[in-house]
Amino acid sequence: MVEETFRSRFRTEVDGSDAPPGADYHMFIGPQHPWCEEPAHFIIHLKGERVVEANIRIGFNFRGMEKAMEARTWRQNTMLIPRACGICSAVHQNIYVRVVERLAGIEDQISERARLIRMFSCEAERIHSHMLWYGILAHDAGFDTMLHISWRDREIIMDIVEDLSGNRVNPALMLPGGVKRDIPKEKADRTRPKINDLIKKVEYHKKVFVEEASIRNRLEDVGVLTKDDAKKTTPNGPTGRASGLPFDVRKASPYELYDQLDWNLVYYTEGDILATTLVRLDETLESLRMCNQILDKLETAEGELLARVRPRIPAGEYFGRGEAPRGEDVHYGIANGTDKPERYKIRAPSLGNIDATLKRMDGEYIADMPVVLRSYDPCFSCTNRVMIVNDTTGEKLIIGQDEFAHKAIKAKKYNRPFF
Amino acid sequence: MKKILVMTGEVLKNQAKGPVTKHVLKRLEENPAPEDIRTIPIIIEDRCILCGTCVAVCPTHCLEMEKDDKDNGMIIMHTPQCMWCGHCQTYCPKDAIHIDRNPATSVLFSYNVRQDYSILTAKGSFKGEKADKKIEEKVAKGGKKLEELEKFRSGK
Amino acid sequence: MSNELKELEDILKITFSKDLVKEVKKVEEGHFDILTTPDKAYDLMKILTEEAGIYHLSTVTAVEREKEFNVFYHIQHRIEEEFREVPINFIVTGINKDKPKTPSLLDFFVAADYYERECYDFFGIYFENHPFMQRLILPEKWPDDVRPMLKEYGWEELKEITLGIAKQISEND
Repeated sequence: MVEETFRSRFRTEVDGSDAPPGADYHMFIGPQHPWCEEPAHFIIHLKGERVVEANIRIGFNFRGMEKAMEARTWRQNTMLIPRACGICSAVHQNIYVRVVERLAGIEDQISERARLIRMFSCEAERIHSHMLWYGILAHDAGFDTMLHISWRDREIIMDIVEDLSGNRVNPALMLPGGVKRDIPKEKADRTRPKINDLIKKVEYHKKVFVEEASIRNRLEDVGVLTKDDAKKTTPNGPTGRASGLPFDVRKASPYELYDQLDWNLVYYTEGDILATTLVRLDETLESLRMCNQILDKLETAEGELLARVRPRIPAGEYFGRGEAPRGEDVHYGIANGTDKPERYKIRAPSLGNIDATLKRMDGEYIADMPVVLRSYDPCFSCTNRVMIVNDTTGEKLIIGQDEFAHKAIKAKKYNRPFF
Repeated sequence: MKKILVMTGEVLKNQAKGPVTKHVLKRLEENPAPEDIRTIPIIIEDRCILCGTCVAVCPTHCLEMEKDDKDNGMIIMHTPQCMWCGHCQTYCPKDAIHIDRNPATSVLFSYNVRQDYSILTAKGSFKGEKADKKIEEKVAKGGKKLEELEKFRSGK
Repeated sequence: MSNELKELEDILKITFSKDLVKEVKKVEEGHFDILTTPDKAYDLMKILTEEAGIYHLSTVTAVEREKEFNVFYHIQHRIEEEFREVPINFIVTGINKDKPKTPSLLDFFVAADYYERECYDFFGIYFENHPFMQRLILPEKWPDDVRPMLKEYGWEELKEITLGIAKQISEND
């Protein structure tokens, strides 16, 4: 049985009756807040300066992707699916095309070269996502020098992605059956020195995070998530790996050609914010080395870039998984023999990590809140991707916020709790 | 091992360099946009057979086709809606679509123009006046998005 | 006993009692489907979590079939020494379409809380014994009887409902 202390943090009563008995202050963050660029509503119950319990409400950013996918063809969805998340677009597309290939039964026809290019795209994405993340983390901790340095160096990998795919953030290189663009030899030669340069810079970033006292004191022993807690709250990806759950989909059930590359699984057992940072820093280095290996392999790898896939996908269902920068990304696709999917489920990693992160907050100082909440790389386009509505999403979203604004104003006016 | 002022060297180096923005034009010249950057599609008219594949695969529904028969017809694009995915190019059976690589003519600088329709191809009797008229009609209406917004606002 | 069931039992190092499991399918190497029914789901998951030591729930998917609902619990059996995961789709089949009800598996996974509420939100499947069966993502003003992921609601209908809510709120201002 799950004890009451481990209840999910997604439960918030509208009348505020769920506030824990010891709490004397209640803090509301979001859905619109300067700290959090993305819309989520955190409710933090405090006793003095210590957090008693932190809860969350989501649903301010849903776009109705799963329903939208049922109304579009498999081919069109290839370009809709990377929009599930702003940063981890390539891995969503990668899982999608693998699900489609499996359903169409053409898994063996994908050439080695196409698979290598797909992997390069995924790894480049992991690098720039992690570099962005630890920049913002340093910013939240009040160490803005690191933010500027890491974001400056991130431009190197962004330039590589732009050079290879034509887009900075959303490479959209993959198609069912292969990839859209090749990585020719000149481009690979141009890329290699940049990657070697970046390795040196990321090693320097790691040195700063490990040695510099002003940032390390801010992260060490803060928001500890023990392994037992982690097992109960089911975090995935770097959040879990920092707490001693050594699971990475690339190692756990290798897809594409990850089993042919030489790389190490990074995991720490401390469970504090410094550990999550170091997991991501080490992973960035591993990914950079993987990129070099992929470029070496591309010199000899041959094959057709694009195999033919018919627009109608035969009936079947498949459960695809992949390792996004934030964690384990899960898709479940059902085809019914027409050119449109019967049902397509996406579970992006952020949703699974929220519970564990809010568990970290218990008993911490309120001043550590920005760092702790940042630790799982919040991404609410991932979290709320599900629902309805097409063009009118904008209007709907604004109205949701209006309601919140009304409530907040009323609460202030009559000096009563928010709910 | 904890130290302080680990980043001093980096900070001093940047201090000596001066502002980055000072050399922004020079830097732009040194690092031009890649030659195969993604932009909007363009149709080569001789090759187009008006089969409608590009219209069918377009994820954003930004292409519209009108045709009488095999030879007479046109394809219109609602330019701001295009997200440069290149699906039309990938799936075109006749290789009639190529991606315009010139950033100056691309949609890059016309994001604010809501009513931006352009003719991708016009064949046979649609060529010339008829196509221009259709475009004018579209522009006068104000485009898909604007139409829905107006509807929503007037309903209020 | 089918080969698949035996293979899965070898990996999990347990034995299933036969009446609980409806069917076991092997999707690919190290990836299984377990099919069961709503009345047996709780007992079967108890065996999987307590005896086989499964603790990770990836997500819960609800699927609308022609005559019934299916609920998929995507769980992972984790072998820590080998850094390996065995994905298992725990499928609750035969949920009545008129009165969709299935036992909540919240007792075994904390994460089931919000995943199950998501299914309730979009499909109207009621998870019994769930202490907090409330809306997760849909807005407060959304009509209670509209379950938007069902096939009966098309794109245009949902758009109308959304616009209706929007108008209603803007009129109240």
